[in-house]
Amino acid sequence: MASLFQRRRSKATQVERVRERQHEGFLRYAGFRWAKISGGLCLLIIISYALVDVTPRHNGGSWYGYTLGTIGALLILWLTALGYRKRRMTNDYWSLKAWTSAHVYLGLSLIVIGTWHTGFQLGWNVHTLAWALMMLVILSGLYGVIVYATLPAALSNNREQMTQMQMLEAIRAFDRQLHNAAQPLTATDSAAVLASLDQDPFAGGAWARLRGRYPNCATAAARVALAASQSSNADARAKVAQLLLQKEAALARLREHLRLRALLEIWLYVHVPLTFALIAALSAHIISVFFYW
Amino acid sequence: MSFILRRIATTKTGKQIVRDQPLPGDTITLGRDSANTIHVADLAVNPHHATISSTDGRTVRVTAQEGLGFDLNGRTETVADIDSAAGAELRFGGHRLTIAREEDKIILLVERIDELSQSSKDVDEVKAFSLQGVMLSKRMGAWVFAALMLAAFLIGPIWAWYSYKNVDERPGGYHADSAWLSGPLSSAHANLKNDCQSCHVEPFVAVTDKACVNCHTGEHKAMSMAHAGAPTAMLLAARHPPGVGEKILAGFAKTFNKPQGRCVDCHTEHEGAGPMAATPQKFCADCHDGMQGRLKAAGHPTMLADAADFGTGHPEFRPLVRAAPGAKPARAAPGKGTVDYNGLKFPHDLHLQATGGVARMAASFRGRYDFGKQLECENCHRVEADGVRVKPVEMERDCAMCHSLAFETVGGVTRTLRHGEPDQVVADLTAYYRSTPPSRPLQLGGMQRRRPGAYAEGQVYNIYFNEVATRPSRAQDAVRAVFSKGGACYDCHTIFTPQAGSGWRVAAVDQTPRYLQKGWFDHDAHRETACADCHTAAPASKASSDLLVPGLRQCRDCHVGEGGARLVKVETATESPCAMCHEYHSDGGKPWMPPRQRRKNTAAITNKPLAGSYGVSMITGTGGRGLYEVTWRTPALHAARRGG
Repeated sequence: MASLFQRRRSKATQVERVRERQHEGFLRYAGFRWAKISGGLCLLIIISYALVDVTPRHNGGSWYGYTLGTIGALLILWLTALGYRKRRMTNDYWSLKAWTSAHVYLGLSLIVIGTWHTGFQLGWNVHTLAWALMMLVILSGLYGVIVYATLPAALSNNREQMTQMQMLEAIRAFDRQLHNAAQPLTATDSAAVLASLDQDPFAGGAWARLRGRYPNCATAAARVALAASQSSNADARAKVAQLLLQKEAALARLREHLRLRALLEIWLYVHVPLTFALIAALSAHIISVFFYW
Repeated sequence: MSFILRRIATTKTGKQIVRDQPLPGDTITLGRDSANTIHVADLAVNPHHATISSTDGRTVRVTAQEGLGFDLNGRTETVADIDSAAGAELRFGGHRLTIAREEDKIILLVERIDELSQSSKDVDEVKAFSLQGVMLSKRMGAWVFAALMLAAFLIGPIWAWYSYKNVDERPGGYHADSAWLSGPLSSAHANLKNDCQSCHVEPFVAVTDKACVNCHTGEHKAMSMAHAGAPTAMLLAARHPPGVGEKILAGFAKTFNKPQGRCVDCHTEHEGAGPMAATPQKFCADCHDGMQGRLKAAGHPTMLADAADFGTGHPEFRPLVRAAPGAKPARAAPGKGTVDYNGLKFPHDLHLQATGGVARMAASFRGRYDFGKQLECENCHRVEADGVRVKPVEMERDCAMCHSLAFETVGGVTRTLRHGEPDQVVADLTAYYRSTPPSRPLQLGGMQRRRPGAYAEGQVYNIYFNEVATRPSRAQDAVRAVFSKGGACYDCHTIFTPQAGSGWRVAAVDQTPRYLQKGWFDHDAHRETACADCHTAAPASKASSDLLVPGLRQCRDCHVGEGGARLVKVETATESPCAMCHEYHSDGGKPWMPPRQRRKNTAAITNKPLAGSYGVSMITGTGGRGLYEVTWRTPALHAARRGG
């Protein structure tokens, strides 16, 4: 018996290896198995909603509403469990990829489960708040799936085989060269260069990162200032200006990298906190129903 | 007096190598420019930043040269005198100058303490390149949001409930538990919007009937006698076997302590503003569909027929009828009840004919009464003031226009026989014959003398005086004639001849005011429809014992089930839930229905089906029928009204 399980497991591992080789992502995992399951579930709900006769009208308090609500609440808790699952290393059947695939597609089916649970009765109350938070979490997740599918290529193009630290190291090298080259400059000119050296390449808030625009960039400002300046030795100035131009290019690459990474990550800052807000609102929703039973 | 510049280099292994270099002169310059005694390659330092001098070999004076100062003990200074024995640390840009004294020499230690640039600083790669560095952490966000949600939408509402736990009525204003309101309350309960506790009294206890009855005292006393009188076991047996969904709901209800059969099961709330929804058909059909069999199986046999849907499953009406002359009114047995003896003789066909004597007589009265070219239903049948029912036919008002009881005119005033009082008729006729002589023939002559032969049998005198002598006894004949075939009374009434101890008797006339006791019918709601559209048997009815109350078939010409179910072709369907005709709270009044719905259904009736298939409506037309716009013109029988 044990050997039978052993064989089955090794076969499963084998299948997994093949998938790994073919770079099968979580979206097309197992031939869209979870997409089919969750699509079928949605279809079943939409059809049965139309066929089931609930009096006086569809709402969350009918037997059908309770059923959908229970399924939805359990599903939300299970979907949240992905956060724990991904931190646990296992070699079980449920690979993280399978789990993620199910998370994505079942999460999308929650749009139908949750919305049809409401019976399309929405208002300004805790019940609709839970629904709205759920929709925000799902939409942010949808955004995440889209950027995961599209942005890594752009990220890779921008890097051009460099690692993150290599990008930073390039800036450091330009900074050292700038420091040396700027020694002969007058106080005013060197102040502009100094400002460039003193600016943190990671400076700028979340908004600047997402937009990739840095209007207060000291390096760009120093280049402009130096071009206008007449005070220092022209040769020294030209050398510094050249270095500033190179530093700007290196900075631009780093900043584009930061922008793409921010776009890849920002949804999690909505998805995760709102998930917990949703669980809290969901608890309030369920307790309120039983409290004022 | 000498200054010594000390340099410390750190090897890769961390070992420090100290090199001392004596500096010439008493005054030492410090700056970025290579010409300075101490050359500091730091862009934050001016080309000629400061001079360091000592006059006595102990006190060191540091003077800034080109505007930029230096930091000493956290403050920016331009000139400072420093006791070398005590020592000090000065800061020039990213460099630190430490002044100390060893033996009699002043040691100047210059070292870079700041990074060359910001980018040169050590970074945590994971943090710096991701959003972690610039965003509130996800974990913190999760806690904050979750805590906010729980505080605003769980703790707040429970607190609101707790603080008004023992208060009869909450004060106005905002209460946190209004965030729990699952939908607007119906308009009748709209004022309870902020007072959840008026219905939801105890937490985790489903709304009880007690909460309803606390306010609704009057209605509940008259509620559903038929159902209130039934034993609970019977009511439970009547319920239809639960489906999968109801089993689930019952499971929820049982698990979470939600008893069945409460007021709110039917009167659902939080379903949107506006009037409460009319009770849907399903609440009735849940029991009444197939109930007879279930009750029989459970040992509660019933006469009630099954009813599921007006369009497809509704028993035939059982109107209140008198099955035989003089019988007591009783609901007709199912499938029967085509006769109703009301004691009158009245052929509807004769009166509704478009041609013939009745029509001609009616036509001759045009202008005097509301008659047209022929008689219409409303010429004789009048509606009650509220328009719901039809008044009983009254002889003086509704028949006497044609069926006159006049027998004499005295000075232009018509005398009529007293209707409804046979004895009075006999007395009036007798008095008439006694008080009036026969009309005097002309041949009787004046006062001249007459020849004796003129009194002979067969002569005028003989006939006249014989008539005068016997005239009072003629009354008997007249009375008999009135009550016999061909007489005024006999035409319409059943007459009983005089028996020992009683005179002429007329059979009692019983007009049923409401035939359908269990259902509600409103004539006013059907005012756009011609009478004969529903009362189809009337134009061909030969006897008054024909029951002319429409049957289920006529209703189904327009009315279909709540969901539109129907057995026959319907042109303009009116969806009819049970509550349209049946009143659950059985107070005898109109079944309650939201006004909006009522209006809609009335409008749907306007397009009547099968128009033109009945003779009467074809002739009379449908538009502007007079039934409800009747001007109550008093018939010209003032004397009869005043009592004869």
